[in-house]
Amino acid sequence: MSDITAVLGVIGSDCHAVGNKILDHALTAEGIKVVNLGVMVSQDEFINAAVETGAQAILVASIYGHGEIDCDGLRGRCLERGLDKVVLYVGGNLVIGKRDFAEVETLFRGMGYDRVFPPTVDLKEMANLLKQDVAARS
Amino acid sequence: MIVACLDIGSTWTKGATFRVDGETVSLLARAARPTTVVNLADGFFAVLGDIVEGDPLAQLHDGRLSLQYSSSAKGGLAVAAIGLVPEMTLEIGKIAAQSAGARLSQVFAYHLTEDDIAGLEASPPDILLFAGGTDGGNTNYVRANAEAIGRSSIDCEIVYAGNRSVAAEVGRLLAGKRLRIVDNLMPVFNEPNPDPARDAIRTIFLETIVKGKGLDRIMAATGAAPVPTPFAVLEYTRAIHAHVPEWDSFVLFDMGGATTDVYSVHQEMPDLGTVLRGLPEPEVKRTVEGDLGMRVSARTTVEAGEPEFGDAAEALRCYAERVVAQPEFLPLTPEDAALDTRLAAVCVGQACRRHVGRLATIYTPDGEMKIQTGRDLRQVARVIGSGGWLARAADFDPAPWFAQHAVDARGRLVLFPQHFSYYRDADYLFPLLANLARAFPAAAAQAGIRLLQD
Repeated sequence: MSDITAVLGVIGSDCHAVGNKILDHALTAEGIKVVNLGVMVSQDEFINAAVETGAQAILVASIYGHGEIDCDGLRGRCLERGLDKVVLYVGGNLVIGKRDFAEVETLFRGMGYDRVFPPTVDLKEMANLLKQDVAARS
Repeated sequence: MIVACLDIGSTWTKGATFRVDGETVSLLARAARPTTVVNLADGFFAVLGDIVEGDPLAQLHDGRLSLQYSSSAKGGLAVAAIGLVPEMTLEIGKIAAQSAGARLSQVFAYHLTEDDIAGLEASPPDILLFAGGTDGGNTNYVRANAEAIGRSSIDCEIVYAGNRSVAAEVGRLLAGKRLRIVDNLMPVFNEPNPDPARDAIRTIFLETIVKGKGLDRIMAATGAAPVPTPFAVLEYTRAIHAHVPEWDSFVLFDMGGATTDVYSVHQEMPDLGTVLRGLPEPEVKRTVEGDLGMRVSARTTVEAGEPEFGDAAEALRCYAERVVAQPEFLPLTPEDAALDTRLAAVCVGQACRRHVGRLATIYTPDGEMKIQTGRDLRQVARVIGSGGWLARAADFDPAPWFAQHAVDARGRLVLFPQHFSYYRDADYLFPLLANLARAFPAAAAQAGIRLLQD
């Protein structure tokens, strides 16, 4: 078992629950302690949960195409609330239309996310990256 | 079986004797005298003498009489709560304290500042409830706060109900203080566990706090132990919920001169398409508002109601100044009575507004969704008014205030009871029946509901 605690949730007004459950199962199976906030989670709820549970990472999912609006500003808010070391991941159908993923990745990296994932990501691989990133940050 | 029930309030010590025959309760005698602040026992034994024929102590000792009593005298039980995130461990700390019958004297989130510590040193509460972090969760804030408390000269009982990973360390940092360590009030994220902290607060009340208030003399003479009045009333609402058919959900207001208490019993059953956010709500909940009251708190009550008073604002401000100076004031003219009624509407309305949850409608690519935070009392069909003023006010109805404030400034629905029958505890027996319920919950619950006026 690793000692990683990660807060997981679907951000904004997005109520897609299935992928959220799959992520929870897959990450738990990889030995990560998941604090799952479910769907329609606000930025402050992610941060509140991370503060209380001492989580090292926040994993933000967005499926409905409004990710660009919902996800912006989370890094700044984390800094304001004292989470200066937290690892931020984002993944899903982050934008609408057929935009090139490299472009999307640059956009979300610019918002302060450490890694950006397309819907096709291998979750085992993602869990391994998470372990490395948390180790590097602490 | 004859039971003497007494309640020592901040102004009046009230008492009644009840005969309990199986499930039937009859009222034998009742009396009230001013609370004797210097020694609570004087007023207590005077009232006990009024309601019992013969020698009450002799009857207690040979078992002909039994006794239950509660106290909210001398400001009741003051608890300061320290949590980490305001909406999380601090919120559960507040729930634990209020359900133990306490009044929140101070609340703190995140790091305690030097000013916070100075404030606690200058006016220490009876009990400091110290929490923060889930088990295995955050330790930085808790450790820093424990260090700050350890260095300070804060002198009161301390209950630690935070992250158990640092419980031992907190014990070392607070060595020399009167510390009790109990289970975390949020061991797992979003799973509140207020009961161990609540029990610790109640135990401390019994073992230590009663001594300073003259209640120890009563305990020594009668062999019976008191509870904080709001604790007894909260357990009484639970008893009514459990034992009276059709009363499985209701709201009870207890409005006094200094505070307004709201108790509700209700099981949350959200509609399909409603997403619940925030902490899960307890089935039985008490909130207490220290700034809403008819006399001692009249000034802050007017402030809370100010925006809606319009032309009457100045008259209400003057009225508040008058009654704050005279807590025993009763209105004699129709003008004063009307002002009193407006104050009452604000106390009940605002206290209920803070007690209930909110429902926001949002529009998503999948259609309309509702997000609910806090408790939804819209379907609650029964509301009770208790406390001196509400007991007397035959014409009072909180429904219009609720209806006028059904939507908040952010466009969210305020989840007040919508269609309800309003009942009145006309004889103001609830605090006494709450004491009776400690020994006979079912009988006392049925008697209380039977005695209500429509």
